[in-house]
Amino acid sequence: MTKITTSLLALSLAASTMMAEGVILAQKTDRDVTKLTPESKAWGYVKPTTIHLYPQTALTMNDKKANALNEGAKAKEARVRAIHDEKNIAFLFEWPDGTRSIQRGYKSDVYADGFAVQFPVKYDDPAKLPYIGMGSDGRAVVIHLQKAVEKVYEPNGNGDVGMQQNILSKNAFGDETAEFARKVGALAVKDYQRSFVSEGFRSMTEIKDGSEEFDADMKYDNKVWKGTLIRPLKDSYLNLEGAFPVAFAAWDGARLNRDGQKLLSSWIPVKLVDSNGGEKLVSELTAAAKGDAAHGKELIEQNGCTGCHQISGLSPKNYMAPGLDNVGGYSTNAYLRESLLDPSAVVVPGYNRNAHPNALWYNLDNGKRVSTMPPYPLDEKSIEDMVAYLKSLKSEVK
Amino acid sequence: MSKRQLAMVMDLNKCIGCQTCTVACKTQWTNRNGREYMYWNNVETYPGTGYPKNWMELGGGFDEAGDLQAGIVPNIEADYGVPWDYNHDELQFGAQLKPNVEPTWGPNWDEDEGAGNFPNDNYFFYIPRICNHCSNPGCLSACPRDAIFKRDQDGVVLVDLDRCQGYRYCIAGCPYKKIYFNPKISKSEKCILCFPRVEKGLPPACAQQCVGRIRFVGFLDDEEGQVYKLVHKYKVALPLRSDYGTQPNVYYVPPTEAPPKFDAEGRIIEGSDRVPMEELELLFGPDVHQAVKTLRSEMKKRKETGESELMDILIAYKHSDMFRLDQEYYQSIARKQGFSLAPIDNRYMQGKNTENKFKFKVVEYD
Repeated sequence: MTKITTSLLALSLAASTMMAEGVILAQKTDRDVTKLTPESKAWGYVKPTTIHLYPQTALTMNDKKANALNEGAKAKEARVRAIHDEKNIAFLFEWPDGTRSIQRGYKSDVYADGFAVQFPVKYDDPAKLPYIGMGSDGRAVVIHLQKAVEKVYEPNGNGDVGMQQNILSKNAFGDETAEFARKVGALAVKDYQRSFVSEGFRSMTEIKDGSEEFDADMKYDNKVWKGTLIRPLKDSYLNLEGAFPVAFAAWDGARLNRDGQKLLSSWIPVKLVDSNGGEKLVSELTAAAKGDAAHGKELIEQNGCTGCHQISGLSPKNYMAPGLDNVGGYSTNAYLRESLLDPSAVVVPGYNRNAHPNALWYNLDNGKRVSTMPPYPLDEKSIEDMVAYLKSLKSEVK
Repeated sequence: MSKRQLAMVMDLNKCIGCQTCTVACKTQWTNRNGREYMYWNNVETYPGTGYPKNWMELGGGFDEAGDLQAGIVPNIEADYGVPWDYNHDELQFGAQLKPNVEPTWGPNWDEDEGAGNFPNDNYFFYIPRICNHCSNPGCLSACPRDAIFKRDQDGVVLVDLDRCQGYRYCIAGCPYKKIYFNPKISKSEKCILCFPRVEKGLPPACAQQCVGRIRFVGFLDDEEGQVYKLVHKYKVALPLRSDYGTQPNVYYVPPTEAPPKFDAEGRIIEGSDRVPMEELELLFGPDVHQAVKTLRSEMKKRKETGESELMDILIAYKHSDMFRLDQEYYQSIARKQGFSLAPIDNRYMQGKNTENKFKFKVVEYD
């Protein structure tokens, strides 16, 4: 590991203490950040940004035990640091987890802790970022995933069928048996890290052609996971400059977390030190909702939102529309505004339509998803009030 | 719903629980590579706990409104059973024969136990189970990655292992618990209806090897086929637990043939049903009454007149009549797509090498 010198970081720190709360300031170094690990001392010189991770409650997954375990799950406080070297950027994501869950052994119902970092492919218009839950139609995201899976094998065994045979059909004895086991063992993938492109829940596709390079790692210590994510600032998928949004998600294996059963952040702005631009994005993503939430709540009830959307205490669970209990935690103001004014702008594929055929939250018009929700072209104040109320909908932080 | 649907009919009157189908399937597909605990085909004793343990109580499927129900992902040790082996190699050196894991549960742990009191009213029968290749699969609806698909050409339900991320919601969503988690590759796998065989005109291994010749395989729209006749013409073959709402495509001829019950003195109770109709109704729905009636009247007709098309079908004279798979149908599809060989649907290879960015589009079901 290459050590990054204190002085360089201290310099850039001084230059950037003016930034608002909730911005991840990616410090610049002239060392190579690709060598950083979760335990690198360099992280100690970077000021962490506190972010919050909220339970995903837009959709309910269909695992009975997991749903019971996560009923009323609380939000978590996490910390993020970032360093870039003009070629690559490294993030350190620290989130609390009371249990270290590794997926290993011959088990069917054990799940791994893990984390993911998500980047929008386009972020030039901060009011039209991809949907936080794995992007949306025409607004793609790149996702990097790291999970605590001890080892895993390629289903096709890298084409070597012989290495997939049962030992009993190998006519092997004694040492030959051990040798076969050793050869099979050598094929294991020891680091479960994957990249995906996605234009919405369900469309997520693993990038397997090697066109997306990244490195991730995670270490558990003292009830906290530390995860690093290191990737190029620029490649064929992304061009990260000035300031750009990033989102984090964490899975708790002990609570049977996987996929949509998770905690996630909203879009968090990252400002690259010594890279110009992005002020608009930073101010948009850090702006507090300025409406009157109490009035917003009245409007939400008056306009019948709770007829389809679930808000605890106001409406029962249903499949017709995304649940809103944590929408304030992981949505941006702009997304909420856009969803009220133009609900078809972002329609999440959501459940497979076969799963809930009587709750069609969108219809297809020439292949384009049209939301069942009508637009609410209310005056600006009303919209801002509703946004302020929706922003207040989130679990408390544990 | 696929354009055509392959289906299987199993005649439970003739199943002797020999597990030849189970072995045929296991040696073909599941004796290796993380699948060791799986039985894509199993034969369980009913009444009994089944495989996995108490699968009928583990949720999944759809309610009457058509909403997918939450379910439970079974545990390998407690519900499926860990496959164990013995230390045969060590015996020559004087070791005691012992299993390598403490066997606490396994498929058919309660084989042949059944219910009732011997000999008065005890009963059981066997239910061989494979994936039902449902028309409305619970696993497919539960998958958040669209990794499960149903082939248009024959309705076979398959997992795209490149899309599968091992979340296991499919297992919770399948009311039959016929999709399994492979811990070695961390993905779900299931019965593929031996599609590489089927595309070559051969029946699935379980059907081919069945010594009781209880399995019929064919397309449901093939009116000349025995599957069509059993399911649609005579309506004696019924889906298992169709109340789960998945529209299964494996059909069962209910067990009608059992000795009568005996009273306390050991005398025959005339006209009694040893296998309770309520149990059959639970498994096969209310249509089972008519099916049993038809079976009995056709049997009587055959006894009296020597003629009954239904009985001739159930006798299962010829494999060539029992299995109507139409190799030419598959080959013509393959040719049209420019493949010389099966598979006729290569979606399970989709995403294998994501060459184009943002290639995958969500499959919309209407």
